[in-house]
Formats: sequence, structure tokens, C-alpha cells
Amino acid sequence: MNPVLAIRGYTLEYETAAGPRRVLDNVSLAIDPGEVLGLVGESGSGKSSLAWAIMRHLPGNARERGGAIEFDGENLVGMDRKRMAAIRGRRIGMVFQDPATSLNPTLPLGRQLTEVLIRHRRLTREAAWREGIELLRRVELREPEALMRRYPHEVSGGEKQRVVIATAFACRPNLIIFDEPTTALDVITGARILELFRRLRQETDVAGLYISHDLALVARVADRVAVIERGRILEQAKADQIFIAPTSDYTRRLVAAVPRPERRLTRDRPGPSPVLAARGLNVYYSRARLFGRREATGARQISLQIRAGEILGLVGESGSGKSTIARGLTGLARFGGEILFAGRRIAARRDMDSGYRRAVQVVFQHPDSSLNPRHRVGEILARPLRLFGGSVGDIPRLLEQVRLSTEYARRYPHQLSGGEKQRVAIARAFAAKPQLVICDEITASLDVSVQAAVIELLLALKATHGTAYLFITHDLNLVRQIAHRLAVMRQGELVDLLPVDALTSDRAHPYTRELLAASPAPVGQETSSVG
Amino acid sequence: MSPRWFARRCLLIGYTLLIVSLLVFAITQALPADAAVMLLGENATPDALAAVRVKLGLNDPVWQQYWHWLSALLHGEFGISMRTGQPVGPAMLLALSRSLLLAACSLALMLALAVPLGIVAALRRGGPADIGASIVSYLGVSLPEFVTATLLLILLADRLQWLPATGYVPLSENFTDGLRHLALPVLTVSLILIAHVSRMVRSEMVDVLHSDYVRAARLKGLSGAAVLFRHALRNALMPVITIVALDVGYLLGGIIVVEEIFALPGIGRQLIVAIETRDLPAIQASALIMAATYAVANFLADVAYAFLDRRIRYE
Amino acid sequence: MSDVLRRLLRTPQGALGLAILAILVAVCLLGPLVAPVDPEKIDFLGRFNPPGGKFWLGADQLGRDMLSRILVGARTTLPIALAATLLGTLSGAVIGTVSAYLGGRWDEAIMRTIDAVMAVPGLLLALLIVNTLGKGSLNAMLAIAVAFAPGMARVTRSVALTVRQQDYVSAAIARGEGSGWIVFREMLPNVIAPVVIETTIRVAFAVMLFATLSFLGLGAQPPAPEWGLMISEARGYLHQAPWLIVGPGIAIALTAIGFNLLGDGLRDALNPRDER
Repeated sequence: MNPVLAIRGYTLEYETAAGPRRVLDNVSLAIDPGEVLGLVGESGSGKSSLAWAIMRHLPGNARERGGAIEFDGENLVGMDRKRMAAIRGRRIGMVFQDPATSLNPTLPLGRQLTEVLIRHRRLTREAAWREGIELLRRVELREPEALMRRYPHEVSGGEKQRVVIATAFACRPNLIIFDEPTTALDVITGARILELFRRLRQETDVAGLYISHDLALVARVADRVAVIERGRILEQAKADQIFIAPTSDYTRRLVAAVPRPERRLTRDRPGPSPVLAARGLNVYYSRARLFGRREATGARQISLQIRAGEILGLVGESGSGKSTIARGLTGLARFGGEILFAGRRIAARRDMDSGYRRAVQVVFQHPDSSLNPRHRVGEILARPLRLFGGSVGDIPRLLEQVRLSTEYARRYPHQLSGGEKQRVAIARAFAAKPQLVICDEITASLDVSVQAAVIELLLALKATHGTAYLFITHDLNLVRQIAHRLAVMRQGELVDLLPVDALTSDRAHPYTRELLAASPAPVGQETSSVG
Repeated sequence: MSPRWFARRCLLIGYTLLIVSLLVFAITQALPADAAVMLLGENATPDALAAVRVKLGLNDPVWQQYWHWLSALLHGEFGISMRTGQPVGPAMLLALSRSLLLAACSLALMLALAVPLGIVAALRRGGPADIGASIVSYLGVSLPEFVTATLLLILLADRLQWLPATGYVPLSENFTDGLRHLALPVLTVSLILIAHVSRMVRSEMVDVLHSDYVRAARLKGLSGAAVLFRHALRNALMPVITIVALDVGYLLGGIIVVEEIFALPGIGRQLIVAIETRDLPAIQASALIMAATYAVANFLADVAYAFLDRRIRYE
Repeated sequence: MSDVLRRLLRTPQGALGLAILAILVAVCLLGPLVAPVDPEKIDFLGRFNPPGGKFWLGADQLGRDMLSRILVGARTTLPIALAATLLGTLSGAVIGTVSAYLGGRWDEAIMRTIDAVMAVPGLLLALLIVNTLGKGSLNAMLAIAVAFAPGMARVTRSVALTVRQQDYVSAAIARGEGSGWIVFREMLPNVIAPVVIETTIRVAFAVMLFATLSFLGLGAQPPAPEWGLMISEARGYLHQAPWLIVGPGIAIALTAIGFNLLGDGLRDALNPRDER
């Protein structure tokens, strides 16, 4: 049987001001009809470039240095534009990462769906419209007739992505390339999209190239998995094998870095006394405008407690209010209700004195915006040291604690990588010798291997200083590895608060169970888990 | 369009016009230590000064002066010109109509040229045409209107003798002659606008061409024309409305100079003449009318934009 | 500082802009020393001499050497344009930063008012102010400053708001830093760069606006060798001596282009780019 897609020894370079940069090096892959190949790589691995190379949509400075990309026996490299235009969209489809940006905001969804039908299947407007409605029904969208007339901003992310999927499947292609299709979506929505995809696969028998940075996810979705690092394919194996028996070092590290809930990283138990407690906390988003005040409550009636040395995980989807709680507890947003700290009641921001500020520190999500680009690392660390009773001489020790050499103190943030910037942010938090550090999705923007290193760092610091953490994340598997207790939020309310091993029991709220089902543990390991 | 949004916009333009009137009044009448001296000059006799003060009500407290002035305005009375002794209003409105004609022709010419130029420059990005256009438009925005106007005068009216240098002929009187007299002013204003707007169109277009949805459209296998016209242009041209609205303000400034150089009896010219003859009511009226035109143009642009961009409507 | 300079010279716009402005500043400082002839020297025999020979750029209606006049004219235009822009920027920046800092209702009220003031086009506003203050270079400078202030307030506010929303400002607030520290040590260093860029480009406008005011007779007064004024005076002699217009016109354009290019170059130079 001839493969649908066969890439043989393909090499790609980009011409940059600093010389040619090799993005893909002697890549060879093959996808059989009806098979789904997962391509896993971290940022900078070249996985997206491969997708563009297949679709022949490379930037102006791309130079192909050899190899072939054979689609159904024909070499796409060097094919003329007319023939390629007949293939694109019709025999090779593509599903993109962010449906909010890959759909044209000024055209109705129906139009964006029917235009491929009109173009490739030569249907008339009316026939295409009818067919479009059918396609939307097949991707499980309710009221497809009405949806055809809507605009992208009027529907949710999950609905948009279904439309994009419907468009990709519309012309019954031989191959569909999926470029991280669930990364921009919520966990539960993403899980449902994957189910849809599974069903469509069975119905249409289409071949797929599924690109992602998430090894665990890809292993669930694909038949075979290829791992790519810095433009080179390191290994290819069947999906269930890659977790059990990775052959290359890099894959081994990758597999080890994937969060697995049953692999517990925290072994100690928290102290008895609470560091901080919230009682009936309401945190507000206030937007005072000229005509009327529009105030929304981001988090409602939150009551929780964090004990000394405890890691309390706070999970929820986007918009659930978890970051809002962080803002309330650090005095960045107005709040009602009370916070109890060191035997004192804190009812408003002005009650947060320097003792509170010192004891409760925060680390933010985006490494690019959490460090002042005009300050050197040394200055960034010196300030909290000076404020909270340390001295400038402590800087080398602080840097060492976060595994950075002392010469980093002279550098500016733009000279650091994302992971390094987060370490500096952590060092900044620990400069105050806090009792509680609030981590607001601090690893969400990092590669999984960098994430694992940062988590390891956090645990080491905890072991040294006995700090408690409020660990906010949307990654359930990650937080199950490290938290003592878990709080689950949904639409501003605290839905569940339980010890981590009670998560899989009947005590868990239905929403919690839904979340659990949407993030199953990685395939290919001994102990089974919920999912 | 939600009525709330519309109501807010109307309230805003009302506020804008109020502030504008305050500003014009403050600068021309309230601020000058002695407006009478300013109007008649230092050598005027005390009697003449006193007479002017009474005539213009300059002895009243400032806020009362403003109130009288504003209420008269709202009744459509712009005061009596100190130069001609005639009501200022009708002359101003006639002048405004001529300026609007000039503005309309310039905008039309500008849109007809700047938009295609910007689009082509974006499509041929980095190529010689793009770089050439970039240089030319850089020059265009670095030359004040009066320089461009005078250079065009020299070239087209003096050397080549293609067009008349100055003067105005109403279109209703003689269409072709009227057009010939309009040509140089329109050309001057358009050139600068074209330089300005084509750069913005190019920049918008480049952004849109690199957007995710245009890429998605290409990868869906749509024809080049479909990608360009159905997907790219629609999104790139909407901000052009805002740009055009902003340029109306710029255009009004340019109109003052252009009408002066080409002796076109529009509202800009009225302002200059009023300043030279120290005709306070005329100064106030022409300034107010120009600013109000700009405010209304912006308002219309807002409405048009909201009409086309569905996202804003639901605010 | 030298770091910024190096990056600036690496971009073609920055290098060219800097070169042009360096020449301009030199001309400004050296002034009459560089001019081949005394710009005020009236020579009735040399009237309307075309470019060439003794008069490199020709002579005007009073026989004054155009080249000398243009060179010395820089001394009038450049300092005034710079002063007007700086004054306008400073006042605008204060208003904009305060507005961003106050936030909420006050911010919106201030910004709506600024928008309303900007409904009066720049030239118009400047004309009205000069009319009140009286003709002259200094008054023209003040008028331009006032006309620029609202625009700069808008720019500063928008930049300040963006900076305020960055996490490093939140981190400072969470540390319990006082307003003084937050505004001056955290926000200002990041606000300055975009404001500097905008200011540089505004100087180009100031040059053109001042020339326009002088052209209309409301800025520099005769016999000052101001470029706009020179063109105005030459209008009557378009036919005989077109070079009277071209020379000063090029001077104005060159100055404006220089500042525009410098602004564009600074845009790249002042943004800390990922250098790894």
C-alpha cells in the first residue's frame, strides 16, 4: 500500500541576518492511508515549519536544500502553483491552532465554509449552503442553519474550531494536517474536540498529521508518534510504545517530564497551623466609567485555608476566577469578605501591611512581562531584598538557589530565556523569605521539559524554606503530582475543595469529575487512572 | 446598531462641540487682556475703543459674554462682521460650501489613487516599486502644503501653462472653467493626502496579508483573487475610514493655506481675511465652523465604521 | 547611551537621519561662520541672479545670497521647532501620565476633553493663539506647543496605560511599593522610549507648522531669514526666480525628513530586542 504522504530526507533552511538557520534536517516520515501520525516537538523544533513545507506555504527566506515531499506519489517540492492550488484544501486539509484568528472576522461562518465547497467541489451557492448545514450537523453543532449566518465573534471557541474542522473535512481530503488544534481551547472543550476527531476518523478513514507539543495528548490521538528536536526526527514508534520504551535520550527526558498524576513528587505533609485563610472572599473587577460603574465579581464567596508548608492547588478553566483570587490575595484587586493572616483580620487593601506583603509573594504567568525590561536582574532582586530586610550581598545566594550563575545579575531580561526569566521571578519572590508563594499559572507558557525543571525547583525551595504554595493552573495532571489539596473553581465559585487522593472518589463534584475525564493520564503505564 | 451606543456617540459629539466653542471663545475673546485694543490696534482712540466694547458686549462678565454668544449661535446667528457690516453667517456658509467641494474632490482623488497604491505596495512588499513609493510618500509628508502648492504653481501654471494660477469660478457658471480653477488646489491637497494615506493603507494591508485568517484562506486552496478581494481587502479597508476621518482634520488645516495661495474664496480664506482685518465675529465663526465640520466628520466615520464592523455594534 | 547609538546607526533610517541632523545642528551652531556671504547684505546689482557664480543658490529680490540665508535660517527654525515640541511634549506628558494614573472616571473625562480639543485642527488652533498673542516667532512657538500638547497627552496616556498593565508593575504593587517608586522607577523608564520616538517625529511637524505660520505672516517677521517667510516673500517673483522657492523648500523638507528618519530609527534602537 502506498503511503499518502512520504517525506524523504527533507532539509529546510531559513536565511536570516545571522546566516542560514537549519530548521529541518534530513526529515523522513511516512503516513499510510487512514493512519494518524503524531509529531511531537517543543518550541523551536521545526514541527510547524514541516506543516508549512507540506502545504508549500513557506516564507520568502526559506531555502529547500534537498529531499522530497511525496503526496500520493507526486513530489510536492517544485510543483507548479496551479497544480498545488488544486491539492490544497481539496486533497490536503488543515486545521489551525487558534480558531479565533484563523477565521475571518468579517465573513459569516457559512460563507467561509461554503467557499471551499464552491471552489473545489464545484457546487452551486445553494447546494453548497445546504451541504454546509449538513457538515455542521456532522460536527455536532446545534442549530446549524442559524450558525451558518453567524460571525466568528458570536460563537464560542469550541464551536469555531468545529467549523474549522468541518471546513477541513468538507472536500473529503486524503490527508489533514492538525496544527495544535486544542491548545487554544479549554481543557473540557479540547477533550470534546478530540472525541469528535476520533469519531470523524472512523467515519471517513482520512489520514492525519497531528502536530503538538503535548506528548501525552498526541499519544492518545495518534497511531504512531514521531519525536522531533531541532529539526531532526529522533525516533518514531507506535503510540503506546513511546511512553513505555523511548529509545532516545531526549524522548526519555520528554516522557519523564510529562506530568503523571500517579507519580507523586510531594511526599511530606503540611504543618497544622494555617498561614493564610480566606473567609467569604469576593474579588471584584471594577471598571468605573464616566456614565455608571460597571462592576463584576470575578470570584464569589471563596473560603479556603492554606497551612504551613502546604501546596494547595487551584484549578479551573479560563474565566473560572482562579487568577482573580490571586489578585485579591495580593492586593491587586478590590475585595470584600476577609483574609485572615497571622491572627489578624484583613478586610481591605490598606490593611495589608509590610508584614503581610513580605509573607505573601506572587509569581506571574508571562515571563516576558513580569520582569521590568529596563532593569537588570541584579536590580530586580535587590529591591525586594532591601524592602524586606535582606541585603544586596544576598543576590548571589538567591541566584544560586534558582540554579542561575551569579553573572546573570548583570543581564537584562531580554537576554534570558523564558525558563530563566521565570527563575528570576521565583528568586524575586523568595528574596522576601515568604511563608506563602502564589504561583499564577507560572509554567503555562513554558515547554514541558522546562516546566518540569521549574516544578523541581519549586519543590526544592519548599524543602529548604518550608514555604507554602497556592499553585494555580489548568493542568490537572501537573497539580495532582504536587498538591496536598485541590480547590476546583468554576465561573467564579469554589466548587470543590478536597485532599488530592479524594479526587477520584465519589466525594468529588460532578464538574471535578468532568475535568478529570478531560485530562486522562498518559497512555502506556502500569497503574490505570480515571478516564 | 444598539441605541445605547448611538446615544452615547451623540452625547459625545455634543460635548465635543461644546468644548470647541469654549475653546474658540476663550482664545479669541476671553483670553486677550483687552480684546478691543487687539481688534482696533494700539492707536485707536478711547472713544472708538469704548464703542467697540459696547458693540461686542465686551464689558459684560466673561461667562455672560459666552452665554450670549453661544445662545446666538444656537439660533443660527453668527454675529455681524466688523469688516462688511453684514451678518457673518450666510457668507461663511457659502464659503464652507466651496471648501467642502474642494475637500470632496480632494478626498475622492485621494481615495482613487492612495488605496490602489497602498495595496500594490503591500503586495509587492520590499520590491523596487514599494521602496520607490515609500520614498516618494516620505517626501510627501515632509513638505508643508504651501511648499507643494507653490511648486505646483511654478510647474503647472507658470512653466507649462496648463492650468490657471489663481481664482475661482463657480461650477454652476462654467463647468470646465470651474474645474480648471479647482484643479491646482485639489491636486495640492490630494498629493499630501495620498502620501499619507497610501502609507497607512500599505501598512494595514501588510498586517492583514500576514494574518492567520488570510493564511488559512490561502491554505484552503482558494484562488488568489478570492483571497485578496474577499478576505484581505475587506479587513484592510475598514481602518481606512478612520484614517480618512482623521485626515479631514489635516485637510482643514491644509485648506487654509491652499485657499490663501490659490485665492479660493473658501472658509479658510475667510479665516485669514478675518485675522488680517481683525474681524472678531468672522474669526470666531470661521474657526467654529471648521472645527465643527471636523467633529461631524469624525462622528460620521465612527458610525460608518460601526456599521461595517459588526464587533463594535454589540458594545 | 552608546549602546542606543550603536543600534541606531545600524538601521539605514537611523544612520541617515542622524547624518542629516548632525549637519543641521552644525549649520545651526556655526551659523554665520559657514555662510559665504552676510545674509543680510543687500546687493541691488545682484538682484534675481540665478544660481551659479557668486551666488551658489541664487539671489533674492534684494540681492541677498540665498545659500547664506538658508543656512542662517536654520538658526531660527530649528531651535523654535525643538522648543515648541519639547514644551508641548512636557505639558502633554504630564497630563497624559496623570490621567493614566488616576484611571477610571477621571481618566475618561480627561481623555474625552482632550479628544474634543483635538477636534480643532492643529494649524487652526495655532492660528487662533497667535492671533491673540500677536505675531512673532516666540508667540508662534507657544502656539505650536499648545497645539501639540493634547496629541502628546493622548500618546503618553496610552503608553502609560499599557505599561501599567504589565505584570512587573503588578509585582511592584503586590510588594507594597509606593506610588512614587512605581511611577518613577518602574513605569517611567518604559514610558520614555515610545514618547521619545513620538517627540522626534513631532519635531518634523513643528518645523513644517512654524514654516507655515511664517508663510502666513504670523510667525517669524521680516527681515528674518526664515524658510517659510522666504517662500512667502518670493511668491510675487515666481516667474522670474523660481529658485527662491525651491531652495528654502528643500531645506524644510530635508529637516523634516531628517527628524522623521531619526524617529523611525529610534523605534528599532530603543526596543530591547531578544538578543540571544
